[in-house]
Amino acid sequence: MNTIRDIPLNCPDATYVQPEYKEAGMRNFTNLVRTMLNDYGVYHVQFNTINKATLIDAKAHPENYPTLMVRVAGYSVYWTDIAERVQDDIINRTEHTF
Amino acid sequence: MATNHTPTAGAALGNELRAGTVAKVGSTKRIQELNGMLHSNRPNVDITRARAYTKVYRETEGMPSMMRRYKASAEVYRSLSDNVYDYEQLVGWPTKRIRGANFAIELHAHWLADDLPNLRGRTYDPFEITDEDYKELEEDLLPYWKEKTMAVQWGHYVDPKEWDRAQFGGVSDVSNYLCANGSHFIPSWTDVIEHGFVKYYEKAKALRADLDPNDPESVDKRIFYNGIIEVLEAIRDWGERMSAACARKAAQETDPVRKQELEKMAEMMTRVPWGPATSFHDACETAWAVCFFLFVEGAGPSITWGRFDQYMYPYYKADIEKGILTPESAMELIEELYVRVTSNVWFQSTQMAYIFGGYYRYPHLDVGGLDEKGKDASNELSYLCLRAMRYAKTTSPAVSLMLHQKTPDALLYEACELAAEGMGHPSFFNCEGLYEMLEHRAGGLDGHSNYNRRDILKYGSPIGCVEPGAEGLQYGHTDSGIINVAGCIFAAVTNGRKAEGVDGTYCGQVVTYESGAPETLTTFEDFYAAVKGQVKYAIDECHANLLICEKILAEQFNLPTFTVLLDGALERAKDATAGGAKVNIGPTMQMVGFATMVDSVAAIKKVVYVDKEATLPEVADACKKNFVGYEALRAKLLAAPKYGNDDDFADEIAADLWEWFAHSTMRLKMYRGHYCDAAVQMVQSNVGYGAMTGATPNGRLAGMPISDTMSATQQADTNGPTAAARSYGKLDFPAYTNGTLLNMWISQSELMQ
Repeated sequence: MNTIRDIPLNCPDATYVQPEYKEAGMRNFTNLVRTMLNDYGVYHVQFNTINKATLIDAKAHPENYPTLMVRVAGYSVYWTDIAERVQDDIINRTEHTF
Repeated sequence: MATNHTPTAGAALGNELRAGTVAKVGSTKRIQELNGMLHSNRPNVDITRARAYTKVYRETEGMPSMMRRYKASAEVYRSLSDNVYDYEQLVGWPTKRIRGANFAIELHAHWLADDLPNLRGRTYDPFEITDEDYKELEEDLLPYWKEKTMAVQWGHYVDPKEWDRAQFGGVSDVSNYLCANGSHFIPSWTDVIEHGFVKYYEKAKALRADLDPNDPESVDKRIFYNGIIEVLEAIRDWGERMSAACARKAAQETDPVRKQELEKMAEMMTRVPWGPATSFHDACETAWAVCFFLFVEGAGPSITWGRFDQYMYPYYKADIEKGILTPESAMELIEELYVRVTSNVWFQSTQMAYIFGGYYRYPHLDVGGLDEKGKDASNELSYLCLRAMRYAKTTSPAVSLMLHQKTPDALLYEACELAAEGMGHPSFFNCEGLYEMLEHRAGGLDGHSNYNRRDILKYGSPIGCVEPGAEGLQYGHTDSGIINVAGCIFAAVTNGRKAEGVDGTYCGQVVTYESGAPETLTTFEDFYAAVKGQVKYAIDECHANLLICEKILAEQFNLPTFTVLLDGALERAKDATAGGAKVNIGPTMQMVGFATMVDSVAAIKKVVYVDKEATLPEVADACKKNFVGYEALRAKLLAAPKYGNDDDFADEIAADLWEWFAHSTMRLKMYRGHYCDAAVQMVQSNVGYGAMTGATPNGRLAGMPISDTMSATQQADTNGPTAAARSYGKLDFPAYTNGTLLNMWISQSELMQ
């Protein structure tokens, strides 16, 4: 089976530019998901991955982040659309590093 | 009227910021334009459904309740707009304008009658409405419905204090359930795409023809089939109207390429959703039309696409082989589905929008998983569905990966690369856990669900955010009762009270029951029994209210389109709300503030009963006074072991209370005969319930957010993600047959340059 990971898509008009991934970090990330779900039996997990500093800046300057999305819990939403106290709660969560 | 000042927060601001070209993203110019159209329209109220319901209910006074309800549903389909816009390849909208809410007046009227003046100018989730529609709502439609909603009717069964306490007390709560009938559902996608609605139409006519008028059951069944047939005819007629609308637009179109597209769309609408899909494009159209039909008929969140990469794959593969589709053109259709479903906004009261703001309506799309023989089910579409989200960048749907030991690393990498983008997509689900939950769904303590192994493997997937479900086999509300266990902890140390000076009603009063004054709880066992007693009391109270509401829904709030899309419901001649599904579930019981409860019990165990550095009455007084004058005690409580660090002192309490909540829930029988399921998934309601909760013995101050979902307390998991994962791994997940939700945060700077 060939997937789009084998044969790249041809989208000349696309707005999306693929970032450059950090190999070690991505490997840690996929291992964390595998271990937690397949080995430890955790049913579900979802991730916020925007840096905390970015969210703090976005709270102060929403006009610079019109399309910034975050995972609240179970769904994604535009950062600007949620209540300040919900923004504060998300910022106050624990940001993990490997 | 709309406010004139410049918005500074909430969607009032966000809508403004995205109105230009900033959100015009997508893999093709078409998707960029459609995304642009989405954001150039502000969320708006559509009164088409409200008007249709009011018309039918006025015309049918005295008729059987199911007959009225089914006729109203049919009238809604007859009233839907036939707008066709530029650039689109899929057809039909639930509303007259993009981003409209064709809301359910029969569920919302009691609050909207008072809240209508706030709707346009409110900070969170403002809605536009024309002056004409506003006037019609205010003067004609709302007065008709405001004393007839489910919430008002429930009030006839309980005393006014209970009605208030279960909505505003903030411990044992049904407020999230009252306006959300017709929710959390995966229709029989495989079947409706393959055969179209005509299959159900023929079946209903045949079953009606077979009725024996001397069979007592035939009396109600005839009303049922007559109603279903009327609804299906309205769906058929909608397809014909849309086909004509596409043809009209084609006739006016000057661009030959677009003209041909519109002509093809006109042809497509003569085939689907009424008849069988013959291509991937047709199948996408049925997937879209069915999705929005259900979002208009039901008021609740989450009509779910479920295992989209499975039921769509035969059409994808055939079209690729025929040379009439490419991965790029398939992805473009998937992106269009994402844009369209994001248009579908959720309509909530001002109070609820403050808690759940962002208009999100929880559609959900899964990839991966196993096939019915237990092999890896992933295919090319699994990758395309994940990749489409990187291009379309929409808030909806929640895309997710169903992960198991056999999932290819490449698919997991594709999903993790999407996660690194920072949009919060996708979710990751452990398939084995999902399957085990489905085996016991609504089966009670040690019981078994009605699902067989094939149902689970072939059709099982999450609904909404995380709730286990199965395509075409399950119906029931899944976000129903909310138990604020942080509020239970405050009650356990204060003999049943709610704190003074926090949000909601019952402040300073007994909000649950008197489980024992703190000075009488001399051993940890005494205290722990009070905690469990409080939790159980709140669950039982909530359950009693949910039973009443379910009875009202089954009798008066039927859902014909949901019913048609449940396997076997036509043969059973039972509406979805009345038990038409093979597996009936819900309403369910959601725990909020789990880690706050666990950390509070662990802190009291350590400081009061092990180290004996304070007494329980002192802790109770400290909580009542929000730790003012108790700073030293607060520091000791904060220093006690916390859940989320792989520390058994806290994690053993976590595992035990986790099980207690689930088992207390699973022994309760529901209105339709099955058992209640437990969950930990109430999204960001931890903020709203935190505002209603006094200071807690884990050191948290009054009014601050309690812990979210099943996650460790904010900032309390200090030993890294692996230690946190180990703590989570000690919990019994399959006991939570309505699902669990975990938030984690990994810095983007770990993942990309």
